Amino acid sequence: MKHRPFTRREFLHTSGGGLGLLAFSPWAPLFLTQSAMAGAPKPEKDRTVLVLVQLAGGNDGLNTCIPYEDQNYYELRPTLAINKGSVLKINHEIGLHQSCAPLQRLLNDGKLSIVQNVGYPNPNRSHFRSTEIWETASDSDRYARTGWLGRFFDNACNGKPSDGSPSGVHLGNEVPQSFLADHPHAFHGMQPNSRGRRQHQETVKLLGSLLKSSAETPSTPNGSFLQHTMMNAIATDHRVQNILDSHKTQVTYPANAFGQSLAAIASLIAGGMETRVYFATLGGFDTHSNQAGNHANLLRTLSEGLSAFQRDLENRRLADQVVTLTFSEFGRRPNENDSGGTDHGTAAPLFIMGSKVKGGLIGSAPKLDPKNRGGVDFTTDFRQVYSTVLERWLGCPSTPILGRPFEQVPFL
Amino acid sequence: MNIALNPQQAWQQISNQEWTPAQARHLHRRAAWAAVPEQIDAAMRLGPQATVRQMFQKPTSLSMPKSVAEVEQERRGSYQRMRAVESPEARRQLQREARQRAVAAGQEMTMDWLEFASSPPHAAYEKWISFLQNIFVVSLESVRNPAWIFEHHQLLRQGGTGSYRDLCRAVSRSTAMILYLDLHLSRASAPNENFARELFELFMLGEGNYTESDVKAAARAFTGYRHRNGEFHLDRNQQDRDPKTIFNRTGRWSGDDVIRLALEEEAAATFLPSQLCQFYLAEETLPTPYIEELGKIWRQADFNLEVLLNRFFTSRIFYEAQFQGNLIKSPLHFHLGLVQDLQLTVRPFPRTVLVSYRQMGQHLYHPPNIRGWVGGRLWANSSTLGARRQLVESLFQPINEAQLNADETTALKAARERGRVELAVSRERLLQLGETDPEIVADRFVQFFLPRPVGPGYRNALITYLKEGPGQSADRIHTAAMAMLQSPEYNLC
Repeated sequence: MKHRPFTRREFLHTSGGGLGLLAFSPWAPLFLTQSAMAGAPKPEKDRTVLVLVQLAGGNDGLNTCIPYEDQNYYELRPTLAINKGSVLKINHEIGLHQSCAPLQRLLNDGKLSIVQNVGYPNPNRSHFRSTEIWETASDSDRYARTGWLGRFFDNACNGKPSDGSPSGVHLGNEVPQSFLADHPHAFHGMQPNSRGRRQHQETVKLLGSLLKSSAETPSTPNGSFLQHTMMNAIATDHRVQNILDSHKTQVTYPANAFGQSLAAIASLIAGGMETRVYFATLGGFDTHSNQAGNHANLLRTLSEGLSAFQRDLENRRLADQVVTLTFSEFGRRPNENDSGGTDHGTAAPLFIMGSKVKGGLIGSAPKLDPKNRGGVDFTTDFRQVYSTVLERWLGCPSTPILGRPFEQVPFL
Repeated sequence: MNIALNPQQAWQQISNQEWTPAQARHLHRRAAWAAVPEQIDAAMRLGPQATVRQMFQKPTSLSMPKSVAEVEQERRGSYQRMRAVESPEARRQLQREARQRAVAAGQEMTMDWLEFASSPPHAAYEKWISFLQNIFVVSLESVRNPAWIFEHHQLLRQGGTGSYRDLCRAVSRSTAMILYLDLHLSRASAPNENFARELFELFMLGEGNYTESDVKAAARAFTGYRHRNGEFHLDRNQQDRDPKTIFNRTGRWSGDDVIRLALEEEAAATFLPSQLCQFYLAEETLPTPYIEELGKIWRQADFNLEVLLNRFFTSRIFYEAQFQGNLIKSPLHFHLGLVQDLQLTVRPFPRTVLVSYRQMGQHLYHPPNIRGWVGGRLWANSSTLGARRQLVESLFQPINEAQLNADETTALKAARERGRVELAVSRERLLQLGETDPEIVADRFVQFFLPRPVGPGYRNALITYLKEGPGQSADRIHTAAMAMLQSPEYNLC
């Protein structure tokens, strides 16, 4: 049985955060008053969790999963191509960038699947629009109001946490467009780095005492209404902070914001949050110039972070519960440009990590043609990946969410 | 609702003798986005009447974004170009690209407007335009061409201080409105009632103040309203010029006549004033005699909007304590209020900014339906308030420029070329606001940011934190400002 230190009883008696008394005010957070009637719900140990990792800016797929036997690759990229000798070979035609050694180990252990050439028909090369297409899972000529995970929250009654946990947790201040929903759901934004988190924690604490003091003095009806609504949200913040403090990781993560984000996510899962979707971002992939060094660093950050996360989950015996999926708005052009970089392209590989994934490389190597410089043709629609995750991992019918059935991809 | 003033006293103007900085701050927080200190000083010099007149001066300088003009230019030749393209697939591709350019231009237009509206001299007028936009609703999603949406808003901006009769007539000729409410499909042989119904219900009279047969007859009067390349055009072949009976009066009424007749109805004098009170005074409807009194004043001024605005914002009732800090800010007000209060500029990143608006429940230029946003408590639930808190936190976090994509870097560079760019609150800036003495900082922050005095508990919690919280005094001031801006009190105006 998982350790579950944060109970409502503890919450009620926590006074350090300035929230203790608050529970007895007429505006006690909703979940406190509800749980007083219903009793604490049982922790759901078997709930599956999805961690989404956005590689923002457009990751260069061809220098991530490298077609090292393809002469066209070397012809298209006279300076940026990774030479065959340093590629970490996966099979006779594809290998990983040398920064991806931790991913290669995961692949060898059967804990990593790579789907090649993932994209969509009529690709769009604008960051804004293509990100929107990935996040809303719309056709490229349709505009959807909600995100694919937002529609999952709207649709899946078993996706909704029963214990007041937020439906989705994201790192940083921006709520991802993927979470946009038609109905209100609680989301929680976490500060990725410890400095930001400390200040966030301080702010929440002070906000808690401001709320408490407001509740003591008469306000306008709208003021009281806002106090009440906000207290619910503060209760979540408070709980998140408590979990982060009491479930610190034993694993060494890389000392960057991305690593810290994943460490925090592992702690929250271990702390018994019923949240099923987490969203983290690693930015900087828009490598129009001086790509070589920058991209190598980004891939190292990604690989080391993911592998530490997997190790952490295994140590905590949570690895069977979690699947991590990466995505990026597009890949990059097959040919390099004149600034030692690459411009916006189309399809690219993505990673799915977890103890339950089938592992291995899925899909064929990208077809390169020195005359066709537009981008890699997609062979798997990203919504096939989503559909697989929804049906086989989150246990939710995918058609209501994606609008139509998509053929699944055998990585789960 | 208990109001100390009687309906006659309510709309009397306050005098220079009664004018205090606290009232000037209330005026700016309510009629605009925030109480900027320089403007409060100016308001004290000018007195209430001149201040309100100045706040609602029509701005001159909002021009159509280049990309929007290009989309419109391109649309004009597109029919011929499309016909010249043989393969259906290539044609679809062209259409897709055009659509994408239109969407991007629409985003640029939204960002441009936010930047324009965030400037203190434009604030009150642009907030008023946002009110009119929420009466004369059109949606970018259904009109699609951002140039026509821009023209529609320009027409509200032009007519925003003139006669309501002229404004309604201009709206009936607006391309965006003609398309949004199907006037372009309305023919003498098959009048479409959509526009006529909303004209009475949502623009001029309110439900229950017209009959079904009024709507049917009015719809006939608006037949033949068309546009050609965005210019109004009356198609006489489609127009029904037969006699019609509207509000019990029979004649060969045109669309303009319908608007004139509607304004002669009793409800016309109270409909817009009542909307105005709901937006700017209290969500609860004021007792009828109060609205009727304001309506009387407005009708006497021949439905002049400037007179209405000047009277409303200098009236005694507007400054009553019960109507201060009683409204929930819209996401637009919350965001632009923060920008002004923290002396920032709107971040030039459509993705971050516009998605944040959607999270807060106000997808700009995409109102949910013809009724626009209902507002009030519907703005606030755990999701939208969470998004508001995150917006506050994001404005206190410096931008990591290395992580921006190339579009964002370009946008940032362009913004810097246009002028001052402040993306995030710096510690130094907050220190400029006050001293480091906790009690003085707390009092200044409360006065500076919040719409009403706070209770002793709130003040003490701030002072205790400023004295005893962890870190340096500058850190504590930073955190205190953040918590205050997230607190319910700052969400009110």
